[in-house]
Amino acid sequence: MTARPQSALDRDGPGSRGATSSGALVEMRGITRNFGDTHALRGVDLTLRGGEIHALLGSNGAGKTTLVRILAGLDRPDAGTVDLLGRPVARFDPKALRSQGVALVQQHFTLVPTLSASQNLVLARPEGILIPGARAARDRLNTLIEYTGLSVRDDVPAGRLSVGEQQRLELLRALDADARVLLLDEPTAVLTDQEAETLLNVCRTLAAEGRALAFITHRLAEVFDGADRVTVLAEGQEVISDELVADHTRAGLASAMIGQEASGTFTDRSGRSSENHVARRLVVSGLSLGRLEAIDLEVAGGEILGVAGVDGNGQFDLEAAMSARSIPDAGSVAVDGMVLEAGNPRHRRAQGLAYIPSDRYQFGLIRAMELADNLELGRVPRWRERRAARREGSVAALDHWNVQSAGPAAQASTLSGGNAQKLVLARELNGEPRAVLACYPTRGLDPNAADTVAARLVSCADDGAAVLWIGAELDELLAVSDRIVVLAGGSVVGPFFPPYDRAALGLAMAGEASDDQP
Amino acid sequence: MTATVTPTEPAEETPGLLARIAHRATAGGPINQVLVPLAAVVAALVVGAVFITFDGSNPLLVYREIVSAVFTGRRGFSDTATAATPLILIGLGYAIAYRARVFTIGAEGQYLVGAVVGTAWVTAGGISDMPRFPLIMSGLLLAALGGALWSMLAGWLGVRFGANIVISSLMLVYVAEAVLAWAVRDGIKDPDSFVNQSRQIGPATLPDLPGTSTHIGFALAVLLVPVAAVLMARHRGGFRVTAYGHNPSALDANEVRSKTVVLLVMVIAGALAGLAGMVETAGVSGRLGAQASVNLGFEAIIVALLGRLNPVGVLFAGLSLAGLTIGFESAQREFDLPSSLVGVITALIVVFVVVGDALASRGKEAA
Repeated sequence: MTARPQSALDRDGPGSRGATSSGALVEMRGITRNFGDTHALRGVDLTLRGGEIHALLGSNGAGKTTLVRILAGLDRPDAGTVDLLGRPVARFDPKALRSQGVALVQQHFTLVPTLSASQNLVLARPEGILIPGARAARDRLNTLIEYTGLSVRDDVPAGRLSVGEQQRLELLRALDADARVLLLDEPTAVLTDQEAETLLNVCRTLAAEGRALAFITHRLAEVFDGADRVTVLAEGQEVISDELVADHTRAGLASAMIGQEASGTFTDRSGRSSENHVARRLVVSGLSLGRLEAIDLEVAGGEILGVAGVDGNGQFDLEAAMSARSIPDAGSVAVDGMVLEAGNPRHRRAQGLAYIPSDRYQFGLIRAMELADNLELGRVPRWRERRAARREGSVAALDHWNVQSAGPAAQASTLSGGNAQKLVLARELNGEPRAVLACYPTRGLDPNAADTVAARLVSCADDGAAVLWIGAELDELLAVSDRIVVLAGGSVVGPFFPPYDRAALGLAMAGEASDDQP
Repeated sequence: MTATVTPTEPAEETPGLLARIAHRATAGGPINQVLVPLAAVVAALVVGAVFITFDGSNPLLVYREIVSAVFTGRRGFSDTATAATPLILIGLGYAIAYRARVFTIGAEGQYLVGAVVGTAWVTAGGISDMPRFPLIMSGLLLAALGGALWSMLAGWLGVRFGANIVISSLMLVYVAEAVLAWAVRDGIKDPDSFVNQSRQIGPATLPDLPGTSTHIGFALAVLLVPVAAVLMARHRGGFRVTAYGHNPSALDANEVRSKTVVLLVMVIAGALAGLAGMVETAGVSGRLGAQASVNLGFEAIIVALLGRLNPVGVLFAGLSLAGLTIGFESAQREFDLPSSLVGVITALIVVFVVVGDALASRGKEAA
């Protein structure tokens, strides 16, 4: 730790990084991995060099995650070789590879939910026989926070941190091990733009120290901001292999990724008239829970209200209270004048408020149950049909929402991220909801899938639904929202109307947030 | 977020051994469902044969005696059915609770409380004069109610205070044993008896099934198997139980407060255990004594796991375990074997089921 610079983040350009480069730290050759009949990887090469940041691009299901999981020892290749620091890897074992300096930050969190941030940190790397005491642990956490600029609260169990904070903690934990090879699986998916930029700066600093970094992303901007080299995967094969980012254009990479010319990123609604708005369709009054301090919101029918803000400013509590997952301390949610029963999700749904959760695997789906069962979640009749009939009945919905799967009997855990989200939409948006609570609905999806999801929500609003869209990507919110409010420190700032003043939004997000996170 | 921390959900506890065993018991396909338990029984009998040889008997003769005692003996079938009845009833409750990954192990206590409540009712002055049918029915119902409340206490401690249900349900077994001891010494003691026991159940005794010497409790247990199977497969409650076992948060966000599911399965498991207590008292012993606790509530855990947490499986597992017990009792007399042998074999079955499940899940991952 002490060897690291404690100063502000190093902003050296790519040119200076070559100096510390000591050639390839990782050489993966001809990696092949099959899962049953699915070919996740078909002979993929990947080279990671010290001092460089390597971006891995590709649509959902292209094999990116499988590739980094193999390198981290969480999976093994069916064919191909991996050389780490010049020596071939014989055993794909996470512990062994971690001790050789490979660290992976997974897309889904691996924290101990009942322990605090610092406890999670020292548990992963106890340094000796005993786990360091509370003060030593806090010091270690604070040093890391200071060094990276990634803030995490230490006074609550990790399970109660917001998704963004948990992500930051995952990253801090990986950095704590002082890895030579750092793999990040969609590290910015849950971060706001500013947080993502901070993270990329941290990555540059780490690369400048001679480490090799690889990150998976869906955001092209980050590739051009942060990465030196890029590999694009499509259906388990390389489309672009280990080339300099500088040699490519955004449009070129985007089309390589999705196999076609990139369309406009998101459905643009700026020209839409607001005549058909039915006033006060979805009304939140005096809602308080956790960080949330008596907030009021009103969404008209046909309107999309964007909720922007830095993660951890009450978004999680807003979602929990509005979805009826938790019972608020005070306040209520009403759809068309009908107040929803607190803590009764079936009543919420019966009143027409659909819910697209921020964490689809925790709150939206039951991974160990089949697709047909997942489609019934929240609307299970007292007596269910026979299993065969249930499966047959769900085929139409799966087709209509283009959920690519092995059929309704497949487990939800077999779906890729984009298809899992489509499954959630198939259930939630079926039957024309009167209002929609959409929490980070495009998180972690490839541009194509994100576009589909956004378009579906927009058409929902066009059909008269009141849509509350909690988002982290500002560009996306600007494109889809009729109105934007900022959630900062548990309170609502705004509303802001188009044309949006990015600076004002940014100030609202940052100004209040800094009060809240010392 | 600091002041209003809700209690920890019981399901967020670190998965223990029981959780892993339960998970694997329901994870696989037909191989796991049928082959693993069968292979485990065979393997346990093979190892048991070694022990029998050490003891100086010919294991083949012993096993032949067991088979003939159960299948050709005069009372083999009816004794097996009688012995299986409480195992099936309690095992069904465990199977449903474990489907929800709610690991109650306190059926023994619920069984005793059910027996005490039911016996107290049917032997009470004024009540015991009721016509036979309503007397039996009300006795069984009250026993189920008693067991359900006893079980719900552990469930409530879990959802309200985050108490570990494994531990609180087990601790309540000891309290129930104290309740039984008090009841037979004082509360419902037969005043004409010198021993600590209740009055004769008399008119509330369960009649035998026509043409057999098995009481109708067995028919009740068998009847409840398809009922439980259909409820689990087709009723909303069954869906919620299964869903809670896999992802309580998704249930909270979409269906129902997940705590109600914990209470539901605890009530069901407790009611079935309480029912078993009264069925055993009214069907077999005829009165409640101080020695009513014979650990059926713990043996039924094995029945539930061996039956793959599946009602039909529980029926077969209950009958198999009961058959082993009855067969070994006969073989013990014949060959002068140690009485602990059947316990050893049962324990071996558990070990081999766990090993078999582990091997099966490993095979599946490699495939």
